[in-house]
Amino acid sequence: MRAIVQRTLGLAWVVPALVLVGVFVYLPLVQNIGFSTLKWDIYSGDQEYVGLDNYTKLLDDPIFWSSFGNNLLYAVISIVFQVFGALLLAALIESIRSDRWRRSLRAIYFIPSAISLTVAGLLFYFMYEPNLGPLNHAFQAVGLGLFDQSWLGQESTAMYAIIGMSQWQGFGYSTLLFAVAIQRIPSELYGAAAIDGTGPIRRFIHVTVPLVREMTGLMTMVTISGAFQVFNEVMVMTSGGPNNSTQVMGTWLYRSGFVRNNFGYAAAIATLIFVITLGIAMAQLWVTRRRRVEW
Amino acid sequence: MRPLTTFAALLGTLALTGCAGGSGEAPAADVTAKPEFSGTLSILTKFAGDPLSPYFEKLAAAYEKKHPGVKIELIQETDQSIKDKSKTLTASDALPDIYFTWTGNWAENYVRGGRAADLTKVIGPDTEWGKTFSKASLSAFAYDGRYYGIPLYNNGKFMGYNKAAFTKAGVKPPTTFEELISSCATLRKAGYEPIAFGNKDGWPALHYLQQLFAYNVPSATLRADFHPSTAKLADPGYVTALKQFKTLVDTCTDTGSGTNGVLYTSAQEAFSNGKAAMYYQEILEFDSATAGRGITPEDFGIFPLPVPAGAAGNPKVIEGAPEGYLVNAKSPRAALAVDFMKFVTEQENAKTLSSPPYGQPSTVVGAVTPETSSKAVFEGIELVNKAPELASWLDMVTVPEVADAWLAGGEALISGGKKPEQVLESVRQASESAK
Repeated sequence: MRAIVQRTLGLAWVVPALVLVGVFVYLPLVQNIGFSTLKWDIYSGDQEYVGLDNYTKLLDDPIFWSSFGNNLLYAVISIVFQVFGALLLAALIESIRSDRWRRSLRAIYFIPSAISLTVAGLLFYFMYEPNLGPLNHAFQAVGLGLFDQSWLGQESTAMYAIIGMSQWQGFGYSTLLFAVAIQRIPSELYGAAAIDGTGPIRRFIHVTVPLVREMTGLMTMVTISGAFQVFNEVMVMTSGGPNNSTQVMGTWLYRSGFVRNNFGYAAAIATLIFVITLGIAMAQLWVTRRRRVEW
Repeated sequence: MRPLTTFAALLGTLALTGCAGGSGEAPAADVTAKPEFSGTLSILTKFAGDPLSPYFEKLAAAYEKKHPGVKIELIQETDQSIKDKSKTLTASDALPDIYFTWTGNWAENYVRGGRAADLTKVIGPDTEWGKTFSKASLSAFAYDGRYYGIPLYNNGKFMGYNKAAFTKAGVKPPTTFEELISSCATLRKAGYEPIAFGNKDGWPALHYLQQLFAYNVPSATLRADFHPSTAKLADPGYVTALKQFKTLVDTCTDTGSGTNGVLYTSAQEAFSNGKAAMYYQEILEFDSATAGRGITPEDFGIFPLPVPAGAAGNPKVIEGAPEGYLVNAKSPRAALAVDFMKFVTEQENAKTLSSPPYGQPSTVVGAVTPETSSKAVFEGIELVNKAPELASWLDMVTVPEVADAWLAGGEALISGGKKPEQVLESVRQASESAK
């Protein structure tokens, strides 16, 4: 009887949180799907049911697909730098004998992650500025004035410039997480490998990489998921321009709703982003469950 | 930030507040009633930041002093942020009692949606209050013969130039577009960037384009093309204007095809610091252009963007439009809102608005004089008043989908991503889709 009372009391404590999450997270998500089937005039308040028209339009929208492509590009480059690059750097840092140097380097690489994306975006906006930006001045100073660019003003370079900033900002965080994962590997395993005559590269490939695979899987999924939710840095640096060349799904959603007054269509984009990120989250759960490393 | 969560939360909030179903439930505001001087009056302005924000703050304090029972709640936004703010407040049915508006499609949406109070009885041209405004500014907010807006200040776009730079280079203010282009090389030799231009936000390019369209495309054709239902966008003047704009960017700016990476304010600073000889700007910016150390008010001159030779449109059109305020049609304090706006547009307050540091040329007749305003502001507003026709901002005069296509097209033209014909084709497609 006491157990039942305790369970009921426990549930009662959880109910307010459940209600809040339900009302402010899940209900809007469900309503968003409903809105995606409407043509909604925010001025008159008129709502017309259009079925799947917004989704059909989505499939024929070249800017949506280029936005999707930019998200994919973001994901691929981020995996290269923030997963594999960060793992390599973490292994290098952890191989340093001096404890003071290890700690200092971890802090140095982590500092950019402490800066908010909006601030980092503004900072890099001025770095890339064609007239006053230090990047072009640096190229000129070393005799590479040929590479002077309006980095954010050209369709061919703008997306890469944004992704570059994002790598700078997120790289240190991933490195730190990998460093923690590497620290958890028992030193005996490295000792045994050394006795067997393996060099540092083979130790990295045959000891470090397999034993941090759980973290690698997690970081890959988090990075991909993050790449499909990109918004702040693009808004701050280019607002999706020039000529929509840096639109990602998040900014195209915003532009469709708040600039083009097409809220039903924006809701359809939101639903699609939800489906994609939900899929990634499910994969993440599956991967982390399968890749658990025990020793 | 997670866009889906944010977007969903916004939509969800709208639904939770029960506001997504329509706007027609509340009774129409009675703007002719005797105002009750009590309660809180909320106002959404476009005067955030220096030097403009004190204007409404001081007026609010003065009005509260005059009517102790009234509290004024100011929501001050910038030119960029007010666009999102207005739409969010509209969608959530939370518009304040008085709110800022541009002319054209922007105001028309509020009128069509029943969110703007019909002010004809209090501000129509034959009313006592209406007679204090210039007729053209009142008409800019008229739809189907009804008057909805309270015009606060007028605006127009002109090429501001540094007289000292022109003298040093031995250049006279150009009288044709071709002269403008040819003067750029001379100014550059004299050590100046001929025209400072930043198009990071996209709309500055549209200001050039709209003026060039007005010069190159007959007015009737242009007006028809703004509405997707009648648009053909087939006039050859469009491509001519787009080519002229591209020539100007490539010849007269230092940033050329990279201009999309430069902030509008960076260009403004290049001019006010004396590094650039010209900068295409609104009357509203004149006084701040001379607030720096690079250019004195005496050295600051203006001329309309010169007309290209053989242009088929109207050479006397000036790009510009008044900006003003609407009264929320569902406001329970609509009469008080009208009374406050009458106070704002009193002659003395209108003169203050037109004077430095605000420099916003009031639409109230007699408020802008050589005594109250800077020389350039007075000259600009005189030119606007004399113009037989004003060309409203391209991103406000047409529907958002088409405006957005022009915006992307302007950027593509600058970067070289699209040719003039391709830009026009993309706008045609957007217009077709918006029908």
